[in-house]
Amino acid sequence: MTAATDAPQIDARRSGRWLYIASVVLLCAWVLVPLYFLFINTLSSPETVNSFPKGFVPEFDFGSLRFFAGFQGMIDALYNSVLVAVLTMIMSILIGAPAGYALSRFDFRGKELFRMLILLTRAFPLPLLALPLAVLFIRVGLDDTVFGLALVHTTLAIPFAVLITFSLFSGIPIELEEAAWTLGCTRLGAFTKVVLPLILPGITASAIFAFVISWNEVFAAAVLTIENRTLPAFLLQSLAESPLHLKFAGGFILVVPALIFIFAVRKYLFAMWGIANR
Amino acid sequence: MKLRFELAGAVSGIAIVCSAVAAQADVLFWSTQARPAEEAQAMREVVLSGSDIAVDYQPNETGPWLTRLQAESQAGSGTIGLLGSLHGDFAALDPAMLAPLDDLGLAASSETFNELSKLGTDTMKYIPWMQASYVMAANKKALPYLPEGADIDALTYDQLIEWSANVQEGEGRPLFGFPAGPKGLKHRFFQGYLYPSYTDGVVRTFASAEAEAAWEKFLELWEHTNPASTNFSFMQEQLLSDDAWIVFDHTSRLAQAFNERPDDFVAFPAPAGPTGRGFMPVLAGLAIPATAADMESSKAVLDYMMQPETQIATLRATNFFPVVEVELPDDLPPAVQATGAAIATMSAAEDANPGLLPAGLGDQGGEFDRVFVDTFERIVLARQPIRAVLDDQKTRLNDIMQETGAPCWAPDAASEGPCPVE
Repeated sequence: MTAATDAPQIDARRSGRWLYIASVVLLCAWVLVPLYFLFINTLSSPETVNSFPKGFVPEFDFGSLRFFAGFQGMIDALYNSVLVAVLTMIMSILIGAPAGYALSRFDFRGKELFRMLILLTRAFPLPLLALPLAVLFIRVGLDDTVFGLALVHTTLAIPFAVLITFSLFSGIPIELEEAAWTLGCTRLGAFTKVVLPLILPGITASAIFAFVISWNEVFAAAVLTIENRTLPAFLLQSLAESPLHLKFAGGFILVVPALIFIFAVRKYLFAMWGIANR
Repeated sequence: MKLRFELAGAVSGIAIVCSAVAAQADVLFWSTQARPAEEAQAMREVVLSGSDIAVDYQPNETGPWLTRLQAESQAGSGTIGLLGSLHGDFAALDPAMLAPLDDLGLAASSETFNELSKLGTDTMKYIPWMQASYVMAANKKALPYLPEGADIDALTYDQLIEWSANVQEGEGRPLFGFPAGPKGLKHRFFQGYLYPSYTDGVVRTFASAEAEAAWEKFLELWEHTNPASTNFSFMQEQLLSDDAWIVFDHTSRLAQAFNERPDDFVAFPAPAGPTGRGFMPVLAGLAIPATAADMESSKAVLDYMMQPETQIATLRATNFFPVVEVELPDDLPPAVQATGAAIATMSAAEDANPGLLPAGLGDQGGEFDRVFVDTFERIVLARQPIRAVLDDQKTRLNDIMQETGAPCWAPDAASEGPCPVE
């Protein structure tokens, strides 16, 4: 009797494991295959890029990358992009996390409305907002500054920062904080010593969101910066109409810094999902 | 500790940013042309490096280009020193945003172009900068399939259809390529090529019986067209990747194919229909916004751009041809030689029926194009009855003409008042 029930169980477990492995492989391929093709085509000569079928081994032709190495203003644009993205990250967390904390810990009138209103900053398309913003920036002198653009990107990133941190704070029992207060912590002390370490991974996640939002934004960047262009504003508009091999190389250049950044902060991110810091 | 460190980082970051805003004296060249990376690079390194005044060349898509320009105009102060764009983009602007340029004494050799550049005012609002056109190109592998007795330099639409059919039969797949993708310039084919060739007009004849015949012909051609054409926007890519053997496109959107494999492709004139060989020019211009900070430098750079040597350098960089009289050197890139010869043959053809750019449409230029794109999508992609679609779109076209009051342009017969849709 036991043997009869065991066999299907083992079968089910085995097929479950196969399903699990297959899903993991599929998800990895989903991300890695396009990146791999981007990599191969970046390191291929124009003829190979246009030919079919594609090879699986890069031929290490650096022509396309060399073109961009000599492309005027690339390094400056890359530097500006990183600066804007980091500023966006810092500002959206500095503004968003306290707002998320307030939403989860305090009851006040219009709380639900406030949560709705935060989302509204994403309700208007940037091409619509860019004109009045640009006029305003020119008048107050914020025009063509990295800080001005970071302000716009922060506005775009704040809804995510607020809502992510709101749910994080809500997940941490207030009793933990109360315990810290009884042991002599001030409100701020309890926050920095008890709550902050617990939600650090979540903060990282929303920081990555802010970084990526800023990194990908083109329209406002193209209108609001001129001398201090960001990399996407500088490159993306040119790439759309460039030959295929340059599209690949340019895409590669746009992707790599973001990948490096995500790798650098990944241990904070993994900690959130219960995997120990590795 | 960590938090304090991060805060310090943030503060110093902001400080760096604020100090980095230094005065820049370069003339900002704000352009929608020469946008592809290689062309932008050539503009910076070859064309503009010879200017006495330092120029910062910034190519943009039309959206940001226009928004920035409008913002500077509304704020009353600007950093843009020189504008470069297509006639249609300038026509969509309020002419008061552009400084008058008559005192420069610059002009194109074509009086038509100079008249267009006034944008309906009595002074020149932009200086014609460079020109291009649309031609046909083919892979040499398609040449054996040419119908008997057909001359590639004097094709008719019927022969083009037969040729494409032969290729499809011989190769087992349709190999005519048409730029019907999201960024493709399909509307120009209908406005400047198909309609003039079949109806000897664009606006007046929009819904005529001849127009019906033209769309039927196009449907025939579509039978032999690579169905993936709805994704094609730059036919040079499909020529190079072998997805299309016979194509129609803007000369600068074919250039890469000729420059990379000059021996594999031929360029030839657009085909002719019952009312001649319709074709139309592309005109780009240079303007100075009224808010330019340093008008003198801007004018000096504009003057530099119009010098014959600069015009030839621009031709090499962008595949757009000069608008002033120049001696063309012999060592031009293959694309320029091939497409230049095709344009020359096309213009000199006995049955040539040159059209003009739409004029007087102002900011309705995009809507005007939309009418042709929608008509194409409904007739060819959605297979709606031609007559019904034309009658339907005709009212929209008529509204646009009435609203803008634009008079007819060639090849339509001249009109008193707004061009009527008959």
